[in-house]
Amino acid sequence: MTSRLRLSVLVAVGALLVTACGGGASPSPTAAPPESAAPATVEPTAPPAADICTAPPKAPAGTTLTFASYGGAYQEAQRKGWLEPYAALTGVTFQESEDSSNATIKAQVEAGQVTWDIVDVGNDFGLDANAALLEPLDYSKIHKDEILDGFAGTYRVADITYGVVLAYNTEKMGGQVPQGWADFFDTTKYPGKRGMWDYSAGGIFEFALLADGVAPADLYPLDLDRATRKLDTIKDDLVFWTSGAESQDLIGKGEVTMTMIWNGRGYSAKHIDNKPVEIQWNQQIVTADYLVVPKGTPNKDLAMDFIAWATCKENNAAPSDYIPYGPTNKLATANPDKVAELSVTNADANSAYFNDAWIVENAQLLEDTYQEWRTK
Amino acid sequence: MTRGSGRRLRGGGPIVDRWALLAIPLIAFLVAFFLVPLIVVSLRSVADFPKPTDDVFANYGRFFDSAANLRVLANTFWVAALSTVVCLTLGYPYAYLMNIVRPRVAGLLLIAVLLPFWSSLLVRTYAWQVILRDTGIINTFLLDWGLITEPIPLIRTTLGVMLGMSQVLLPFMVLPIYAVMRRIDPEYTKAAANLGAPPFAAFRRVFLPLSLPGVLAGSLLVFVLALGFYITPALLGSPKDTMISQFIANAVQQRLDWGIGSTMAVILMGLTLVVLFVASRFIRLRDVFGSLEES
Repeated sequence: MTSRLRLSVLVAVGALLVTACGGGASPSPTAAPPESAAPATVEPTAPPAADICTAPPKAPAGTTLTFASYGGAYQEAQRKGWLEPYAALTGVTFQESEDSSNATIKAQVEAGQVTWDIVDVGNDFGLDANAALLEPLDYSKIHKDEILDGFAGTYRVADITYGVVLAYNTEKMGGQVPQGWADFFDTTKYPGKRGMWDYSAGGIFEFALLADGVAPADLYPLDLDRATRKLDTIKDDLVFWTSGAESQDLIGKGEVTMTMIWNGRGYSAKHIDNKPVEIQWNQQIVTADYLVVPKGTPNKDLAMDFIAWATCKENNAAPSDYIPYGPTNKLATANPDKVAELSVTNADANSAYFNDAWIVENAQLLEDTYQEWRTK
Repeated sequence: MTRGSGRRLRGGGPIVDRWALLAIPLIAFLVAFFLVPLIVVSLRSVADFPKPTDDVFANYGRFFDSAANLRVLANTFWVAALSTVVCLTLGYPYAYLMNIVRPRVAGLLLIAVLLPFWSSLLVRTYAWQVILRDTGIINTFLLDWGLITEPIPLIRTTLGVMLGMSQVLLPFMVLPIYAVMRRIDPEYTKAAANLGAPPFAAFRRVFLPLSLPGVLAGSLLVFVLALGFYITPALLGSPKDTMISQFIANAVQQRLDWGIGSTMAVILMGLTLVVLFVASRFIRLRDVFGSLEES
């Protein structure tokens, strides 16, 4: 064997080991969902500083805030709608991370090395269960009374709302329009595969129960036996997706004829990819992403200023210029072109809301039940 | 490059070669970023609980109480074993071919088997999706030509998982086998032929046994690496192909239950060590990890 070839074999094996061992990055879900049916208590709060919405305090020269969210078109909308205008107003410089992860927050806080100042998180994070990881929000700055009822908590305030919805591929419906989750489970009337998010707390149980006739208001506590029995009826037709991009692709290509999807991804399938995809808003789950501040960040006060500003009625709807995710401030006005595409606009008596407190409390039960059902 | 000189260099006389000091950075790296985290993970499995408890093995109790955990753990080893068999079946003849062709051609074959590594794991897996799914290249082609009326289930099957995994793992099988084959003196097979052995007998009784260290080395590498897979099974397989690493990721990333995540990691590592121990009864592990350097 020539020495050159021998060397190349050695190098190749070394490179392979590195590649294989480093290849485990997870395709993180692009946007996780949120909180809701929490009782709508509006606590009396001190009147927020009158001008934070239009003239937020200047940041000391050289201040850098790190904003972590879920990347992609979503974070770009947040960047253009909030970060760039806020930077221009206050002189702050934003650093961004595009891989928001509850695990990273936990790791940073436990190590005492907090580098994220403001984090956009999903609906299953930021309740009292995570008190050790988060700073209480400063409601002397945030206009809590203007935020949708139930969407502002001790450690988190919703920044955008979205819907977990049913989307269908119009070319595979035989001219019919599925009316809700009962039709999703009816593979006789609507043949074809069905997409679901591969996550125990993402809505799969809720939608099974809605399909089985449970009223949105009566969902919790979830009847998991009933839900899994319902899911069994279409188990062989289910395709599980693990990222928003995957759901958008599956429904756009017609690999599945209907899917659970985040409404922004359904919108992109139709308007960006130009695929024959429509959203059925009936029986959607209205939910939200939240802003939190990891405990121990040296920029706590500046982070609070930003969160207060971004949830003001003047500013909160700005990302809707770029993506169909709606405001959480009741007085904010979304982009008129997008209003019809927003979860909150389409919310009605049939809409459901996640009970985040129950979900967090029962996370282990949900996961065990889900995996027991799914892997069998 | 005689064997003797190689051994003497590595065997180490009484004097520590000063060049060995160059290994210190790597050793420090391994201690800081591998050994210490390993200890932390092990401790977490007996000390980090979602609810206060006196039972240090509470996490292990939780793990073994769940039928899904055991099912997925068993499936992890099944998929790893299956991958090993598939890679061996494909890889041995390939390595054999590399061994008998001219070095230039062998180099091309080597590049061919390494080509997949020029793109990321995720990209490759998504490419497999595009090829295999119901609306993918293969099924669309067959449907359009009227050769089938319903899509063939390629994706969301164990077959899909095997395609995706063996593409990634094949080099780890081919290279160790090839390295060992290079060391087999061609005169041995010729001698066997001279003594009247037909070609297949010469292969089976002379060449094959001599190449076994490479087979075992490659199989062990592939098996152990396959145990840690989860993206490929998640994207190309059915829920029945779920592997334990996916549960670990769920626990750590989504539920922040690092105690049970650590427990699963320790259990997987423990079982992997058991496999290595059993394997060491049959092969010298040094052959596995040293098989490439002397070729």
